[in-house]
Amino acid sequence: MDVKRSIRRKDDEFRAFVKRVIMSCFFKIIMISAVGSNAFFTALWTSYDIRYRLFRLLEFSEIFFVSICTSELALKIYVDPTDYWKDGYNMLDVVIIIITFLPYAFRRFLGKQFTYLHVADGMQSLRILKLIRYSQGMRMMITAMRQTVYTVASVLLLLFLLMYIFGILGFCLFGSQDGGDYDNWGNLAVAFFTLFSLATVDGWTDLQKQLDNRDFALSRAFTIIFILLASFIFLNMFVGVMIRHTEDSIKKFERELMLERKMTLMEEKQVILQREQEEVSRLMHMQKNADCKSFSELVENFKKTLRHTDPMVLDDFGTSLPFIDIYFSTLDYQDMTIHKLQELYYEIVHVLGLMLEDLPQKKPQSLEKVDEK
Amino acid sequence: MATYHQEGQTQLPRADAVRSRLIDTFSLIEHLQGLSQAVPRHTIRELLDPSRQKKLMWEDQQQLVRFSIKPQHTGQISQAQRLLSKLHVRCSQRPPLSLWARWVLECPLFTNFIIFLIFLNTIVLMVEIELLESTNTKLWPLKLTLEVAAWFILFIFILEIILMWLSSFSLFWKSAWNVFDFVVTMLSLLPEVVLLAGVTGQPVWLQFLRICRVLRSLKLFARFRQIRVIILALVRALKSMTFLLMLLLIFFYIFAVAGVYFFAEYTRSPHQDLEYHMFFSDLLNSLVTVFILFTLDHWYALLQDIWKVPEASRIFSSIYVILWLLLGSIIFRNIIVAMMVTNFQNIRKELNEEMAHREVQVKADMFKRQIIQRRKNVSPETLRSTHGKTDDSSRGAIQQKENLDLSEVSKVESIYEATEEDIITSASKPEMTLSKKKEYQSSSSVSSTSSSDASSSESRFSESVGHLDWETLVHENLLGLMEMDQDDRVWPRDSLLRYFELLEKLQYNLEERKKLQEFAECQITPQVSSSPSSCLPIPFCITGS
Repeated sequence: MDVKRSIRRKDDEFRAFVKRVIMSCFFKIIMISAVGSNAFFTALWTSYDIRYRLFRLLEFSEIFFVSICTSELALKIYVDPTDYWKDGYNMLDVVIIIITFLPYAFRRFLGKQFTYLHVADGMQSLRILKLIRYSQGMRMMITAMRQTVYTVASVLLLLFLLMYIFGILGFCLFGSQDGGDYDNWGNLAVAFFTLFSLATVDGWTDLQKQLDNRDFALSRAFTIIFILLASFIFLNMFVGVMIRHTEDSIKKFERELMLERKMTLMEEKQVILQREQEEVSRLMHMQKNADCKSFSELVENFKKTLRHTDPMVLDDFGTSLPFIDIYFSTLDYQDMTIHKLQELYYEIVHVLGLMLEDLPQKKPQSLEKVDEK
Repeated sequence: MATYHQEGQTQLPRADAVRSRLIDTFSLIEHLQGLSQAVPRHTIRELLDPSRQKKLMWEDQQQLVRFSIKPQHTGQISQAQRLLSKLHVRCSQRPPLSLWARWVLECPLFTNFIIFLIFLNTIVLMVEIELLESTNTKLWPLKLTLEVAAWFILFIFILEIILMWLSSFSLFWKSAWNVFDFVVTMLSLLPEVVLLAGVTGQPVWLQFLRICRVLRSLKLFARFRQIRVIILALVRALKSMTFLLMLLLIFFYIFAVAGVYFFAEYTRSPHQDLEYHMFFSDLLNSLVTVFILFTLDHWYALLQDIWKVPEASRIFSSIYVILWLLLGSIIFRNIIVAMMVTNFQNIRKELNEEMAHREVQVKADMFKRQIIQRRKNVSPETLRSTHGKTDDSSRGAIQQKENLDLSEVSKVESIYEATEEDIITSASKPEMTLSKKKEYQSSSSVSSTSSSDASSSESRFSESVGHLDWETLVHENLLGLMEMDQDDRVWPRDSLLRYFELLEKLQYNLEERKKLQEFAECQITPQVSSSPSSCLPIPFCITGS
């Protein structure tokens, strides 16, 4: 640990420099252009014709992309080894680098005829996901979607359970080796596929016809009940859940915005009020006003200059007649309430007093009982 | 800072607010600093009043006027009105052509005529298409009239665009509806021009451009306000979904490119009866297939077809298809639906707010009348006690009354807070209102339940039980009352100063009374909770008084 700390101390400046480089605009532009061009070229790579003609260019862009990605990874880990793993987008970077190196690894170690080579090649298309971190709007969208993941997962789990139940049922009913529909209900995996096809109501009439041909009694009821449950109820439950979530997140966002605005406004008002108070107290401390002990004395002179015939036109609600009316009514109600409250207190105290008078008679009685025992 | 308040008084935010309002209205700070020349003594209304204006101008030319302008919504100011008030228009000998063009365009006769022409264009086109294939020679004059009518309508549309250019060229391009109009008209003009120039090849393309005439009916969208609102709502909903659609496009790309690689074996296999053989052969085909899977069409047939080829691994192909179905067509589609629904709800809410605003104004008017009426039949009845109603003399009622008390105080605070338009004043009040708001919430729920109990006797706006309805009534109507156009509030200056002073003193007094009340209460409540055997002399004192 000490050795590491001493190493860190020595190259702090370099680390800061590298960090500045990584955060700079120029670096971002390089990354975005590298990923974007590579995505474009990957798309071109799929066509054999173009691959044949532009082989060198595509290879070069591939090497360029891989080198930039690995160097970015190395730089970022160098700057911050511990905090690097906390950011989700950095983890995505690591996963994409691993995926990028897969075809090379397969070709090198498992030979060119490895059957899953084209799978590894296909996964290269995931590289475009690196672009997401550079766009603010996309990041917000992803964070919003992340909150719906739990509900989505739970609905999917419920759907899976339902399919499991109906799958076992269907297998037992329709999937026997002879006389049954072996192709579609023969084993659990195929049964799941059939049920998923029913849930997404795609081509289910063909499947139903197959069952009808073998003359199963319950097949129609089974299919219809499952379609009602899975397609109509479950898959539309998704929509309802999503609507609720988007509404909630939008409302929360707006509320936070409103709150933030109110806080900044209140702070500003606070500052201005503070300044005014200081100003007035300073005035009262001033030399020529030293004999004034309170604010009202301070304005005595001012008051004398005001004439009754001098009108003043005001715009705000606080000096208007409706406000005064409302205020007086409220004060009246307040008085009424307090009056009632006071009467209530008197009554309570009166009752307590009565209880106190009763008490000394009860006490000797209880003492007698104790004596008896 | 200590000398700001009276000796021995606690800091009361409401009183502070009143005082700072006082200072601001009379510009006391400048006055006390000796800058009485810099203090505005008149408001803008006095200046605009012709009777006072002369007197003001004679008194002192260096008077300062306080400006407090409330922006008022006067409705739409059309571009023609703006043009009319410009100097160069008023000073010129002849009115400019743009004014006449604008008048023609805004004339209702002209707009209705254009709408009629659009409808006529649609009908003409319909009939023309029907008769296109028939070779009946008797119908030839009819065809001729239809053609002439179509040309005439196009000519009038071009004229309208020229008129709009005349009235203001630069503003024409700023409105999207106008650009749309222009594009549609030019598009339907193009084949005619091309025909006239003598180009004969590629008749299919020309035919298609002729059919673009039908796009002219889309011009209708710009004319009707209802359709405009709907289209604007749609555009707004789409705008907020841009990132979602971009994300969807990214996923389309990923799955399309991956699909080409994954199903390379399937594309290359020599198996004979494969229905969907070419579906993953190329990037474009793969994109189309991914879209087909997105719409959940024949996905199981495609999957079973892929399974027919033994080299394509079953596991990966099933994973691919199922993953894409779950992600794309189930999750993404429902997200899009959810966003559309919330957007439309928001738009409808905004449209309703306008109507709600008007309703609030009407209610505030009624409320104002009620207040005035109420002040007339006041006082002797307010002190009538209603012991019968408060039969639960337990702490619950005390608590309720206290809450009501505090909440009324907080209501007054909120009234006063809302009255301040100046920034200076109501800063520190929200602290108090925030702390009291919780009590207010609880009390409003309590008051609503108790008002439902007690509302049996009184249904009208009356005093004895009215104070339970009072708060909600005031709260609802406050905003409307504030925004109402008030008559001139004219105060004599010294009365105004006195009013502010008294208001401030009133706050202090109210605070003191509250303290006394709390003091009295805390003497009693410990007695209620503790056992009756422990007696203290204090209750006797209060009973005596």
